Amino acid sequence: MIKLTQISKQFEKEKVLDHISFAVEKGSIYGLLGSNGAGKTTLLKIIAGILKQDQGEIGINKQPVYENPNVKQKVMFIPDLPFSFPQYTVKQMAEFYANIYDTWNQERFHKLHTLLGLDLNRKVARFSKGMQRQVAFWLALCTMPDVLILDEPFDGLDAVVRQKIKNLIIQDVADRQMTVIISSHNLREIEDICDHVGILHHGSFILEKDLDDLKSDIHKVQIAFKNEDFKILEKLDIVHQEKRGSVFLLIVRGSREAIDQMILSHEPVVYDLLPLTLEEIFVYEMGGVGYAIENILV
Amino acid sequence: MFDLDLRSRKPIYEQLVDKFKELIINDVMQTDEKLPSVRILAQQLTVNPNTIQKAYRELETQGYIYSVKGKGSFVDGTAKKVSSHEVNKIRSDLEKRLAEAFFIGITKDEIYKIIELTYEQIGGGDKDD
Repeated sequence: MIKLTQISKQFEKEKVLDHISFAVEKGSIYGLLGSNGAGKTTLLKIIAGILKQDQGEIGINKQPVYENPNVKQKVMFIPDLPFSFPQYTVKQMAEFYANIYDTWNQERFHKLHTLLGLDLNRKVARFSKGMQRQVAFWLALCTMPDVLILDEPFDGLDAVVRQKIKNLIIQDVADRQMTVIISSHNLREIEDICDHVGILHHGSFILEKDLDDLKSDIHKVQIAFKNEDFKILEKLDIVHQEKRGSVFLLIVRGSREAIDQMILSHEPVVYDLLPLTLEEIFVYEMGGVGYAIENILV
Repeated sequence: MFDLDLRSRKPIYEQLVDKFKELIINDVMQTDEKLPSVRILAQQLTVNPNTIQKAYRELETQGYIYSVKGKGSFVDGTAKKVSSHEVNKIRSDLEKRLAEAFFIGITKDEIYKIIELTYEQIGGGDKDD
């Protein structure tokens, strides 16, 4: 289990993370979302033990991570730009990893070689961007990590490879209870595989929840009334409201049953209730903290 | 076994619950048949194992399946009854469609005919119905 309490981090005078606390259960896939410059990468680097926090505590299985090789043996971080030594071939990189990680699995290395079909004797730096990322996954998964931290992992991968990689991650989560933390801007990608999500904005969480709970707690409602009776609107917990002709488009917080009951008792002429996609939740939650989409004509 | 609509707005675990219910109600999955293990289903569908676990738990609370520790989950034969929630939903859907039908000018008699025809097609339901 990963637990962060009151983590803060400052670069020079700029406060990047502001008293962040959250926990990720073992065997969970956690999605970290956020606006650009929200502090996602910094947070991931602190969890991976690359950066040291200014304040607060972080523990992976109650052990600190920073400069603690025992914990780092079991933690794997794939940065947004995967790194490899210049002039090293895949084979040489694998030997390097095998020397460092006690849990290196050579058998798996060969299996993934057949699956990915990349040339072992080619220099990693000469691969394309997407192929370099595949190499990073290949090496990372062979170290059999307990915690896998991914920063923008699916960037630059084609649909087939993306599915392969996701499948590999899911196998490890199911088989070995691997814990995964993913940051991404591609909300569709995250929506499929995460069970928890946190939305970061200006260095603090604006939301942190089980994804299914999140989705069942906010709905898109379209309603119209015959007699222009708008009293009901005051009774609902409305996040966002728009009027198109005589039809209202509302984003309402609350359980489906509660909203249904409330609205149906007012006999609407038109009534539709839809769950929101993660992308919509993100946009509306961000709008709530003043980071809204504005249609600016330039 | 089945596919999920990953583009749908409906949460994945709800889709899973609905799919299994459908399979169980329509006798595609027989009583005491074993459900695929969480691990295998997660891998087949590329879905988070925790989501599948959650769906199985939901199916268990709703009485569609039972689980045996260390063996897996199985179809519960006693659960062929439909929940009252579902009945209410279908009823309100029907009301809505009927209102539309009347609006565009279908007569009451025509609707009675449709009802009788559908009833015959599915074999008449229970005798004392």
